Amino acid sequence: MSDALDSLRQEVRDWLAVHAPKDWRARSTSEAAFLELQRSWFTTLVKGGYAVPHWPENWPGGGRSLAEQKVIYEELARADTPRLLLSFMSTYHAASTLFEWGSEEQQQRYIPRILEGEIWCQGFSEPGAGSDLAALRTRAERRPSFSGGGDVYVVNGQKLWSTMGQFADQCLLLVRTSSEGVKQAGLTYLLLDLKSPGVTARPIHQIHGDEEFAEIFLDNVEIPVANRLGEEGQGWAVAQSTLSSERGLTLLELSARMRGALWRIGDLIRANGRSEDAGVLRDFGRLASKVDATCAVADQFLANRIAGEERVGDASIVKLAYSRTLREFTSLGLRISGLDAQYHAPITFGGGMETGNWMADFMNSYAWTIAGGSDEVQRNIIAERLLGMPREPKNWVVKEGAA
Amino acid sequence: MSMTRAELQDAATKAFDGDLTPDAAHSWNLITDMGWLMMAVPEDQGGLGLGREAVGVIHQALGRTLVAGPAIAQMLVIDALSAAGGQDELLGRAMAGEIMSASLAEGLRAVPDADRASHVLRVEAGRISLLPVEGLALTARATWDKTRRLFDVDAGDAVGVVLAQGDAATALADRLSALRSVALAGDCLGGADAALAMTTDYLETRRQFDRPLALFQALKHRVADMKAALAAAQALFWARTEDSAADAVTMGAMKAHAASIYRLIAEEAIQLHGGIGLTMEHPCHLFLKRATLNAALGGDGDQWEEAAGRRALNA
Ligand SMILES: Cc1cc2nc3c(=O)[nH]c(=O)nc-3n(C[C@H](O)[C@H](O)[C@H](O)COP(=O)(O)OP(=O)(O)OC[C@H]3O[C@@H](n4cnc5c(N)ncnc54)[C@H](O)[C@@H]3O)c2cc1C
Repeated sequence: MSDALDSLRQEVRDWLAVHAPKDWRARSTSEAAFLELQRSWFTTLVKGGYAVPHWPENWPGGGRSLAEQKVIYEELARADTPRLLLSFMSTYHAASTLFEWGSEEQQQRYIPRILEGEIWCQGFSEPGAGSDLAALRTRAERRPSFSGGGDVYVVNGQKLWSTMGQFADQCLLLVRTSSEGVKQAGLTYLLLDLKSPGVTARPIHQIHGDEEFAEIFLDNVEIPVANRLGEEGQGWAVAQSTLSSERGLTLLELSARMRGALWRIGDLIRANGRSEDAGVLRDFGRLASKVDATCAVADQFLANRIAGEERVGDASIVKLAYSRTLREFTSLGLRISGLDAQYHAPITFGGGMETGNWMADFMNSYAWTIAGGSDEVQRNIIAERLLGMPREPKNWVVKEGAA
Repeated sequence: MSMTRAELQDAATKAFDGDLTPDAAHSWNLITDMGWLMMAVPEDQGGLGLGREAVGVIHQALGRTLVAGPAIAQMLVIDALSAAGGQDELLGRAMAGEIMSASLAEGLRAVPDADRASHVLRVEAGRISLLPVEGLALTARATWDKTRRLFDVDAGDAVGVVLAQGDAATALADRLSALRSVALAGDCLGGADAALAMTTDYLETRRQFDRPLALFQALKHRVADMKAALAAAQALFWARTEDSAADAVTMGAMKAHAASIYRLIAEEAIQLHGGIGLTMEHPCHLFLKRATLNAALGGDGDQWEEAAGRRALNA
């Protein structure tokens, strides 16, 4: 490790000693407290220059090397600071898509507002379009604006599973502008102001008691054509930037946090008098190795990316390793805490993936095996793209009524 | 059994063939009206004399639709009263549906519906007794699984009606533990069966990539694995339930196995349903929560599997 990185580490540590929120877990027991904490911690990080180290250097807080970013995330995890959930889609998905596809004007308009706390969500999935995202049906028709100005898209449809959708100001919206040709060809990417008339967001109740995502109904919503990213019909390509942005660094941060939380299982083993239970210790040891392996493969992924050697499918390996290991982590906690974990305890909003509320953590771990491309979809990518195995034939369908 | 298992199964699934989580009070009336609480009690004590196998059938049916209520605990009390003998009056009341509850864990923890019970069974080293609930301190312990209402009971040094003492108490405690495992395992296998059926139905109706999900072999293999694991667990369940020599450890290990299959299937059900399986609107989570609770009640896998391992080592 170089001197420069060591001194950055020290600098972040010193800064955190002063600024990291204390006792926030105990406080974050309501949605209101969660929002307040997320907003204030994000503002503090922006001021400190640590909120968006992954941004390009021409933006404030950006321009850190991957190695520097890693140091910052490790220190944030080590200090057990709240994970930025509310602004996650803004600083990753929205920002990286805007950097890649946004016009100068669009970037100047939206990027500074992210640092001021504007919240974005992602409106891709629909009831009929999950793993098969390209099947989405939300329609956008272009027509002149009645109130003057340029053309608008009039959008009708329903989006599902928009993380933080009920709190967001803006939405990355993938819509269908044409039904001609292959499904992917008819998609267009729009930026939707969620305060527009015709937008309704309704929170979805999750099985562990949180309401992290929402469904969004769009009823004749007008979006100026100027709020389009890329060309009409280019939406699929733009969406790929959004989807790839959340892998990589995010998983580096999350696996570092998982490693940083192993003590919770150690504590649990001691508290339950299992310190001499060879079976439990063996499983704990096995888990610790898997957690390390997950961190290592995330590290290696980033090293390859820095070296420009990333292959299609590498990110899927990292995501699959993380999601499976998180399931094992939470399962072990659930098992050791026995009946205690079966008694309902209120969740810590925004507390991360390993809060020590084992049943809630266990249920929440499904977010990672389903969201952002399910485990099964990652396996398809690994087999077909990385290992080069043939794809399942597209024309292989059952005739209506034959199933 | 005078009534065949198939006949009983048929009657049980007909009674609870409707929606998941049927109304608790209605379910309790149905359970008592069908005479299910007296199934296992010998005929000379006013029961139907159908034994543990009948208990298995009933709890599979209750597990299948996630029926609420204290049926497992009630059957423990009834079995204790029946085994102790000389308690015909209390036994009659319990068989008729007056709620008498018992711990599904240790001591007086995890007692279902204690607030509605007239009595609670106390199992201690060397003594088993039935205590009137009146005057005892009850603490409601809300679980993630909302189909159960568990209480911790603080009975102080209340004694009540003593049903067994000394060696007789030890033998009865063993018998009750085995019965509890049968009931919990039945609940697990019924629930697992329903969760699997729900999942295969979903895979056949949900379409992605212009085809039903059921057309993906990767997913077919997953449900095939679930089916194979469930079939073996069911076979083990009936084999041990029919085996009159099966004791607490044998039944406990069987229950641990059944609970692990239930959990596997409930977990896979969520995964194969995708996002919808993570919402309160969909019933997937009801199975997962009951499965994890069942796994922790009546002694968990770590406890029973270790005991079974030690026994296998010395066999
Ligand atoms: C916590 C969470 C947050 C989310 N946040 C967002 C968000 O902010 N914005 C957004 O747009 N979406 C979001 N999503 C939606 C997410 O992208 C979808 O849930 C996911 O793509 C799966 O789609 P689905 O739920 O429709 O499941 P389906 O696609 O119906 O899948 C059901 C099952 O079939 C399997 N399957 C599907 N296709 C195949 C195949 N070809 N081969 C093998 N198996 C297959 C799946 O793996 C799964 O097990 C979120 C989801 C969750 C759970």
